[in-house]
Amino acid sequence: MARLLVQLKLRLLTNALRSSTAAKVSFIISTSFAVLVAVGAFVSLALLRGTATSVDLTTVIFTVFAFGWLILPIFVFGLDSTLDPATLQPYPLRTRPLAVGLLAASAAGAWPVANVIGLLGVTVGLAKGGLGVLFAVLAVALQVLFCMVLARFVTTGMAGLLRSRRGRDLGVFLVIPLFALYEFFAQVVPRVAAEGEINSASFNGFDAWMRWLPPGLAAHAIKDASEGRAGTALLRLAILAAVIVALGLLWIRSLGRALVTTDTSARSSQVRNTALPLARYGRAGAVAARYWIYQRREPMSLAYWALCAVIMAAASASAIFGKQPHPAIVLTGAVFGAAFAGGFHANAIGLTGPPFVYEALALTGRRDLRAYFGGESIVLGVIAVPLLTALSFGLAAAARKPLEGVAATAVALAALGASLGMSTIFSAVAAYPMEKRAGNPMAQPASGSGGYRFSVLGNLAVTALAATPVILAAIFTTSLPEPIRAPVLLAGAAAYGFALAVLGVRIAAAAAEQKLPELYQVALRSKL
Amino acid sequence: MGVPGTELPRWHAERKPAGGGPAIVVRALRKSFGPKDAVAGIDLEIGAGSLAGLVGPNGAGKTTSLSMMTGLLRPDGGQIVINGLDVWEDPVAAKAVMGVVPSEVRLFDRLSGAEMLEYAGRLRGLPTEEVRSRATQLLDVLDLKADARRLVADYSTGMRKKAALGCALIHNPSALFLDEPLEGVDPISADVIRRLLTRYVSSGSTVLFSSHVMELVEQVCDHVSIIDKGKIVATGTTDQVRGGKTLQQAFVDLVGPRATGEEGLSWLGSSSS
Repeated sequence: MARLLVQLKLRLLTNALRSSTAAKVSFIISTSFAVLVAVGAFVSLALLRGTATSVDLTTVIFTVFAFGWLILPIFVFGLDSTLDPATLQPYPLRTRPLAVGLLAASAAGAWPVANVIGLLGVTVGLAKGGLGVLFAVLAVALQVLFCMVLARFVTTGMAGLLRSRRGRDLGVFLVIPLFALYEFFAQVVPRVAAEGEINSASFNGFDAWMRWLPPGLAAHAIKDASEGRAGTALLRLAILAAVIVALGLLWIRSLGRALVTTDTSARSSQVRNTALPLARYGRAGAVAARYWIYQRREPMSLAYWALCAVIMAAASASAIFGKQPHPAIVLTGAVFGAAFAGGFHANAIGLTGPPFVYEALALTGRRDLRAYFGGESIVLGVIAVPLLTALSFGLAAAARKPLEGVAATAVALAALGASLGMSTIFSAVAAYPMEKRAGNPMAQPASGSGGYRFSVLGNLAVTALAATPVILAAIFTTSLPEPIRAPVLLAGAAAYGFALAVLGVRIAAAAAEQKLPELYQVALRSKL
Repeated sequence: MGVPGTELPRWHAERKPAGGGPAIVVRALRKSFGPKDAVAGIDLEIGAGSLAGLVGPNGAGKTTSLSMMTGLLRPDGGQIVINGLDVWEDPVAAKAVMGVVPSEVRLFDRLSGAEMLEYAGRLRGLPTEEVRSRATQLLDVLDLKADARRLVADYSTGMRKKAALGCALIHNPSALFLDEPLEGVDPISADVIRRLLTRYVSSGSTVLFSSHVMELVEQVCDHVSIIDKGKIVATGTTDQVRGGKTLQQAFVDLVGPRATGEEGLSWLGSSSS
């Protein structure tokens, strides 16, 4: 059974690799990252040798790995068929041998191997002496086993949810904290560390409560063994092993239930009102109503706004965390925020997908298309203006330059108009199909859609260019009294941005008028 | 007299065929994808008030033909006229008189059923009160009233097909195009759809639908066209096409049986495993 399931896992990996060029590229990137993680974790753990906080940091790293095992299967649930008990339901399998086989399948692949290699860095770092190294190897083995059993327990328990629409929605929302975390480590931590505000002493006592969690037990067992307390070390590993056994038994019970339970995850959502809002405003109102509802109910739309806020905050990070912040950085953040507010929607028809048929059949003339693109832009504007304004003032305040919030808002308004205008034009002239792939809850450009790079970069470049006059106006008017400067700057930027957005809608409607069937064919190829 | 339980709402006006002339005319319709001729010059004439079926094996060109007829796929050549309106010369007017249910019913699944129907109606420029009234009546007739506030994402295949049919009917079109309307639909929903279509054409409107289900086509259609490899191989009244046989048999005779490859299954059904 174990051999069969390991072969199945390897076959699934090789088949995914053969399916398309994009899959090959994803595989190469994923494997490269796995190698980087293995080397990075090994070196990081090894470098802790002799430091005062080595056990605290080892505990943190072990916990981070366990957290990764907990989260990652939720993303790759559709990618790795061995994670879903429903795929094994039709076969006459005994639960215990199946559980052993599934654990063996968990251990197959680049990431589990990278995990083991990376954590073995403790044999150089935290461990001292023969006994320490022996306990380090045992602790790593138990830590990895704990991670695998934990991941299996969680995915088996959540399988019904993960297969459902709600589960897929949950996957989308998980992207937001993960992206924020990535930006935090990529943008904030290096700056703070460079200014000496983070050092190894910052982790002193960090594991006060984490030491009692399974990863902490593993790390502290190594320390105890290295310092000659073999009994305590053995006791810690015994507790860890008991946790693994208990978790394993719970998982086997859950697996046994899942193998004989039909999917009952078809809970449905009810809406309060049956009527669409904005009824008085014709087709533009109808499109705006539908788009508004989607911005609230479609997790991907909510995720786009959250990512937009994270990008804007990350772009302003050096102004916030630097000791001598340059106020212009907040303006850069405003440009980035506005560019992505439009840029994420620069392929509206591809993102709509096959339901666009109802719009393609009803919207025919240029006037209808203006109403269509206009309705969508209004909704994006209604969300983006308060969001960018609040972020501009908030980030300016965080950068200890609250008055720069006025200039940042003005830049954001102008850039937003340009960004919305360009995104509407790109939606009409450079539409491309989108698809959701297993392992990524966010929609991606379909294989072979090279146009998206052009859209993303084009949107960013035009937005930055269009915002330049307002940036210059903001810089060269700093000597003016603020009661005069602020309203003039804001009103001028808003009017300029509005004009750009309207221009974009008019150009897009003219372009789309002659190519509605082609746009529909693009929408039809989207798999969302 | 209408079929009980599927009475069309009052706004669905009676349509008498204009002089009994054809409602759907297709001439020399062609479409190629690279070297493959998906549709290789088809001609069709469907009379007003007719319930017509377009049948053919997978990949025969049914969906491609219907997509071109409804203005959703640009043809390489040919002409399509719906109620006297050329689909590709005057798309605005032609699209106003047609309703479409695509093969893969993909609705705006984050809208509720009621919101979806209202959106479809308002896109067609119907006044708000009128569209809400029609949506309520259609949801009732389609047996979706209890699920009107549920998100379409949580609808079953049959419910989606019925909601899509509601969207296609809400502007009271005179010609309805349906691509595999009953595929994956449970018998109860299929019956609701079938009876609604029968009632719809009795008012003088025209339906053209594609299907694999020969029994259904034979039961409800007065006109059948068989398409294979992008060409119409038989067309006429259902009785003419089947020529005294079942439609299934006539279809198999015309299109030709596929190789079965059953020779290698000697173990199947034997006592050894």
